[in-house]
Amino acid sequence: MTNVVIAGYARSPFALAKKGGLTRVRPDEMAAEVVRALITRTGVKAEDIEDIIVGCAFPEAEQGLNVARLIGLLADLPITVAGATVNRFCGSSMYAIHMAAGAIQMNAGEAFIAVGVESMTRVPMGGYNPMPSPALHAKNPAAYMGMGDTAENVAQRWQITRDAQEEFALASHVKASAAQKAGKLTDEIVPITLNKANVSQDECIRHDASREGLAGLKPAFDANGTVTAGTSSPLTDGASAVLVCSEDYAMKHGLPVTARIKSIAVAGCAPDIMGIGPVAASRKALARAGLTSRDINVVELNEAFASQALACIRDLELDPATVNLDGGAIALGHPLGATGARITGKAASVLKREGGKYALATQCIGGGQGIATVLEAV
Amino acid sequence: MASEIKSVAVIGAGVMGAAIAAHVANAGIKVKLLDIVKPGSADRNAIARGAIERFKKIEPAPLMSPKAARLITPGNTEDDFAGLAECDWIVEAVIERLDIKQALYKRIAEVRKPGSVVSSNTSTIPLSELMSDMPDTLKPDFVITHFFNPPRYMRLLELVTGPDTRGDTIDKITKFCDVTLGKSVISCRDTPGFIANRIGTYWIQSAMVLALDMGLEVEEADAIMGKPMGFPSTGVFGLMDLVGIDLGPHVNASLARLLPKSDPFHAINRDVSMIEKLIAEGYTGKKGKGGFYRSSGRGADKVKETLSLKAAAQGRLEWRATVRPKIDEVKDAKKDLKKLVGAKSKPGQYAWGVLGRVLAYAASLIPEIADDIASVDEAMRLGYTWKYGPFELIDKLGADWVSEKLAALSIPVPPILTRLGKGTFYKTEGSALLQFCSDGTYRPVKRPDGVLLLEDVKRGAKPVLTNKSASVWDIGDGVLCFEFHSIMNSLDGDILALLEKTIALVQKSYKALVIHSEDLRAGPGRENFSVGANLGLAVFAANLRMWGKIEGSVKEGQKAYQALRYAPFPVVGAPAGRALGGGCEILLHCSAVQAYAETYMGLVECGVGLVPGWGGCATMLARWQTAKDAPKGPMPAVAKVFEMVSTAKFSTSAAEAKDLKFLKPEDGITMNRYRVLADAKSRALALVDGYAKPEPAMLQLPGASGRVGLGMAVEEFRKKGVATPHDVTVASHLARVLTGGDVDIVDPVSETDVMALEREAFMALFRTRESQARIKHILDTGRPLRN
Repeated sequence: MTNVVIAGYARSPFALAKKGGLTRVRPDEMAAEVVRALITRTGVKAEDIEDIIVGCAFPEAEQGLNVARLIGLLADLPITVAGATVNRFCGSSMYAIHMAAGAIQMNAGEAFIAVGVESMTRVPMGGYNPMPSPALHAKNPAAYMGMGDTAENVAQRWQITRDAQEEFALASHVKASAAQKAGKLTDEIVPITLNKANVSQDECIRHDASREGLAGLKPAFDANGTVTAGTSSPLTDGASAVLVCSEDYAMKHGLPVTARIKSIAVAGCAPDIMGIGPVAASRKALARAGLTSRDINVVELNEAFASQALACIRDLELDPATVNLDGGAIALGHPLGATGARITGKAASVLKREGGKYALATQCIGGGQGIATVLEAV
Repeated sequence: MASEIKSVAVIGAGVMGAAIAAHVANAGIKVKLLDIVKPGSADRNAIARGAIERFKKIEPAPLMSPKAARLITPGNTEDDFAGLAECDWIVEAVIERLDIKQALYKRIAEVRKPGSVVSSNTSTIPLSELMSDMPDTLKPDFVITHFFNPPRYMRLLELVTGPDTRGDTIDKITKFCDVTLGKSVISCRDTPGFIANRIGTYWIQSAMVLALDMGLEVEEADAIMGKPMGFPSTGVFGLMDLVGIDLGPHVNASLARLLPKSDPFHAINRDVSMIEKLIAEGYTGKKGKGGFYRSSGRGADKVKETLSLKAAAQGRLEWRATVRPKIDEVKDAKKDLKKLVGAKSKPGQYAWGVLGRVLAYAASLIPEIADDIASVDEAMRLGYTWKYGPFELIDKLGADWVSEKLAALSIPVPPILTRLGKGTFYKTEGSALLQFCSDGTYRPVKRPDGVLLLEDVKRGAKPVLTNKSASVWDIGDGVLCFEFHSIMNSLDGDILALLEKTIALVQKSYKALVIHSEDLRAGPGRENFSVGANLGLAVFAANLRMWGKIEGSVKEGQKAYQALRYAPFPVVGAPAGRALGGGCEILLHCSAVQAYAETYMGLVECGVGLVPGWGGCATMLARWQTAKDAPKGPMPAVAKVFEMVSTAKFSTSAAEAKDLKFLKPEDGITMNRYRVLADAKSRALALVDGYAKPEPAMLQLPGASGRVGLGMAVEEFRKKGVATPHDVTVASHLARVLTGGDVDIVDPVSETDVMALEREAFMALFRTRESQARIKHILDTGRPLRN
């Protein structure tokens, strides 16, 4: 079977929606900048790219009209490079990688760019025209449940205390702050200078985060709950991109390969505890790779909320010391569609940097799903 | 012809300077705000920038819309001084030190462009002193423009000019401050404290000193020296807390220095140890730890406390729980002020002791401080929020009565009062308002050019139509003015009936209609265009279970408003102050609106457990659905209107009303309260030729699917503890109206369809016990009930 590798990863800085430095940047143009930089940095021949697959959670307005094709044109890719947009909410761009991997194994192309993008400033969560089915809402209201409520449900059922959530959130900021200061985030970032913006590093990290500060916040979703804005990922603007190739192609062209995709999986779960989605998906992916969580050296587990991240770590029996070494979404931000490509690209890079054998990238998905990718050192 | 002022600079980013810059920006004019370079700061504009940043936190807000901040450019007096050459008006608002001001004027004289106006906002330094060491080139263009704090809300501007000031300069600055900034420009002589502070300081100081001398407590003094006399309801001690107790000694000292020894001010000006102690301990009023009043404890344990004047008289600062004094004379004063100030009791003696002195003082200052009494009354009304000026108060009491009572107090009767004898300071002749002058003659009270006041129209005239809640006046040139005069201008059956008659009359014999109400004595932010439907009547009907009657009045309102919208002539709404609920809806149905800048519009029905029932939902949906800056599709307009109406959001200015689309982009805003009616009339006349009534709007609404989305959002608010159970009920009815009821997304919906849903929801909610409780509560207490 054809091996598939990650041969490059780049992303925009992540900035707070509505307040940060990327509020005036169109998401399609931002993503095109990242794609352009990824091509330059990896040295891949643009004409060899089969398809650009873009994950986006709310593909409308400036993210609409099959934005993948538009990003390709904005990035001046050859006219022959096709484009498809995919929506699996937060799992969108990890799924873009999976689609690319599947196509490569089907011998339907050698090089793909998997992109993720979300401007949560310019396209609101839920989109501009949310129109749920009254019939489904009557039958299964959890199908449309707000993410904060699902985080409260997980906290309650898995008995994740507010204290534990805050400890986890603080650690995320501490790790991200240290990583930023040590320059560990610099290589992946493509500075954005569109429309008078000038953002060259992540803006969501709170370098002065403290337990006292977190303890002072009011519950964000339920007056009697434990989840606060401090233990949730912030609304974020950002874009990310990963170069996915057949191993043969990458080797032949001397591309900077970071990891091989060992296995992939998606799995559904109950919508009202969607945060637990990574457990089933990761178990499937690990089983397909013939591994257990003890074999994993590096984990990128998306921190949609501290409660669900902690519940997943517990159920998957992950070693906390291997999880999100450079910080997670609570500190870095979570531009919905862009996160999957970030954590997969990041897991591959960290695996190479830390010298481990296997990495796991996984995330939860609204509506009740999980997605996972197991990577192997090359 | 004076050239116009198009760019302004304010030097000094302190409280006043920054707020003046904010107000210039409110008027849509570019303004530079300069201050010194803060030593050790990396940002050389830190002081000015910090002042602009603080606007967001200041209450009441200095800016009418956050967007106005973009017109203010922060700078510093080192790097940006040359830029003053671009400015048509340079306002100095630096510290009250003559040497610093004079040095600054020399620098300004070197860079400013010829013909630009330069002014000082000083309140304590005479013009003659400011100009004593001034380059000759600057003198013809230099004036004092004295704003009152807070400049956005206080409508008085005292203008002091000198013998060398050019006429062109006076015209230019007067026009700008009047028309563009919306101030009443009162020309003052160059005397200490000008008009308002001269009398106002004397009033405050007398009230404080006499309260201490007579052994009154703070609450008693404030109950007497406030509302009964038409003074601010805070009373004098409450007022000192509001403006800052630390300000008093500075103003007193400057007046003491400048006023001649014979001035009565010296007799009541003495150092009060209580004031010194309060300032030393940080009790400077609301901006500090509190003052004569303070709050202690938190949340439910919060209690209001008052400084004990008895303890203060013995050298101690002690606060005790605030009491509400019961003073019979204060109650009686509602009918006749003389019952208070003529009483022999302690409250009566205090009331007259202060008021008598103040009235005599004011009367003794004519013509020293101003040419005419009307200017003095205007200055006190607009600079100190007195409902009546001193001469109006004398007229209320009777000049001969005042003279007699002054003599009894051994206060010399001022010559102008003696000359007036038994007459009045103001009288009406035909439609003219005349004022008594110091030479013993009556002359007309002059309004600035272009001002049209309903009170002037009404003087000596009869309404074209009238009933107990509204009247219609002929304001000339074929335009009628529809005026509300019910309680708080609330809307009732009489108003709707008169509206119907008026529409017929205009159609037959006139060209256009303006809807306007006028309460010029209401004080900043307190005027009512209309507070909406008269809920008292509705509650009465509900108690008798007269549901048909209530539904009938909803229908009547819809019908009347529709008739306004589709009238064959232009209807221009001219609101000032609160335009809430039905008062907002009537404006939504006008062809155009010319709003006073301080107009507060909103559909606040959900606050009383109802939904807008007179076409407000339908109109706002149409506005948001056709807005060019809103996202497309069936939901964005619905979501936006739902958010605004369910939270009873109202605008805090006319500028914000545009952002919220209560006003249309082409609707006008008038900065000067006195010019609203004239501007509205011009607007109406401009629309007459070729006027075509609007086409009914058709809406695309999402039906049940959209309702599920809104319901989920409300449920989130309930969980967060933000929405109460009855909020959820009200919101669900509102959601049904705004989503179009049972329509499918492919069905076009007319405004008539939405109005039928409005009626249905209104009636369903009115029948609930919770909504009725909300209505009763607001009628009883003036505050919303959260149930």
